[in-house]
Amino acid sequence: MKIRFLLCSMMGLLVLAGGLWQPHDPDAIDLTLRHASPSLEHPLGTDHLGRDLASRMMIAGWRTASVVFAVGAIGFFGGSLAGTAAAIMGGWREQITLRAAELFIVVPTLIWALTAVAIFGLSPVTAGIALGLAGVGPYALLSNSLTHRVLGQPFVSAARGLGVSPPRLMTRHVLPNTLPLIFVYVGSQAGQAVVSYAALAFIGLGADPSRPDWGSMLYEYRLFAFDQPMLMIWPGLAIVTLTALLNWVFDRPEAHK
Amino acid sequence: MTGHIVRIGLRSAVSLLAVSALAFLVVAFMPSDPVMIAIRAWNLPVDETTINALRTEWGLDRPFPARYLSWLADFVTGDWGRSFRTGEPVLNEFSSRLPLSLGIGLGGLALAALAAVPLGFTAALKPGGIADRFSRLLAITVQAVPAFWLGLVLIWVLGVKLQLISPFSAGVDVIALAIGLVALHSTGMLARVYRRDLIEQTAQPYYRTALAKGLTRRQALWRHGHRSAIYALLSAMRSEAGWAIGTTAALEVLFGLPGISQFLVQSISARDYFVLLAYIMVVASWMLAVNASVELTLRRLDPRADR
Repeated sequence: MKIRFLLCSMMGLLVLAGGLWQPHDPDAIDLTLRHASPSLEHPLGTDHLGRDLASRMMIAGWRTASVVFAVGAIGFFGGSLAGTAAAIMGGWREQITLRAAELFIVVPTLIWALTAVAIFGLSPVTAGIALGLAGVGPYALLSNSLTHRVLGQPFVSAARGLGVSPPRLMTRHVLPNTLPLIFVYVGSQAGQAVVSYAALAFIGLGADPSRPDWGSMLYEYRLFAFDQPMLMIWPGLAIVTLTALLNWVFDRPEAHK
Repeated sequence: MTGHIVRIGLRSAVSLLAVSALAFLVVAFMPSDPVMIAIRAWNLPVDETTINALRTEWGLDRPFPARYLSWLADFVTGDWGRSFRTGEPVLNEFSSRLPLSLGIGLGGLALAALAAVPLGFTAALKPGGIADRFSRLLAITVQAVPAFWLGLVLIWVLGVKLQLISPFSAGVDVIALAIGLVALHSTGMLARVYRRDLIEQTAQPYYRTALAKGLTRRQALWRHGHRSAIYALLSAMRSEAGWAIGTTAALEVLFGLPGISQFLVQSISARDYFVLLAYIMVVASWMLAVNASVELTLRRLDPRADR
């Protein structure tokens, strides 16, 4: 258990350091240095415009991390708030909230995000908000069912009998019991957020293809798959490593039994 | 049974209606003005008369609910608007591209269900054995490796190194590769679901009775566990359908296959909002159709749910 969080924080530090400092300007074009082989100066070599691949990978990692963070935060706060509030209010208001949450499941998260990104343009901010909001549905349904389980407990009846107001009931008695479980679920979806953001950047609706993202790099470098395969190997490896690490850290044992 | 079909149909229609309202709302927030886009796209003169004529023609001078209702009425009657980019009716553009997208998405899903049964069954037959470990590895791998990257690597390996396929040709070999990639993800997930349900059956008294009657483990699992596990596999297909659509979209872009997602990508730089609306509606109908057919099949398999 400890080693997982150690590895995860190491990865976090690595991504943070990569976002703050890169050996070269990731957008600096140097046509005299096209497709340079790896060297001390350019550890992963350069791309078709002579841009340093390592620097681009680092800034792309930072952009991916901010998307994952935004998706997690929006899903966690939005979903637990909506689901819990619905369960406490009950009646038709709960029904409407749950039906609205199901709407987001009818159309896959990626497609909703694709739509939003097509309209507002692709950046880590819009992608994070779009993927986050589109993913709120399942979290709301989960926190709703968890809350119902807690609401059936005797200590909640006792608190209600003592005249505790609904907002206080929620913060004091319900959320402390449901939040840890919702957090684990949000964490288990973090790896999926990495893949979804990569897919969004790869499909790249209205995106500026020169922006460094692992997904858009794969799209840009796919044309060089014949002569310079390493250009598309590195971003892919980065996606796989980060996703696998996140999946492993937040592994739900019952998912693989 | 007829009652269920009617009820599921009604529920799907209501969901589709709600999705359409939400989609229309999102698209209405588009920061750029469709009239100006159309004028630029069609090289019309930029003056008051043209702008006003287009505004009136598309009803953009009317309030939002009225615009939504008239769009919905048109959409239901088959008038999906015209694409700014190609100038063709959106319905025609979609109907010529949809078969390819559906073929890849649904074909991949069907292939995955077929492959998941033998894999999951072998895995359940001997927990901890080779098949079990392989299916577990597959499930973990497909969750971390994006299909479009795997496709890119396969282009390199199969297309460049081995010269087995001609990438970017939109030929049968590329379509087969796309179907296989969609199927790979779902095979991993569905095989685990199928296997888990089979293993749960082995704790049931009727399974032990079957063993006591002299059936081998394989016979007992197949005769007394398979049906229930198929039920679990089918319900897991609903969430896999969403994955299949997203993967199909990315693979169409990767391989340059002329499906609906590639059309969307090409249209979006022209801010083709009729295409965007049609795309959401088509995807939502696709998901709802998969959901409805899975649900009907589940009802058929387990009539107890009727009561």
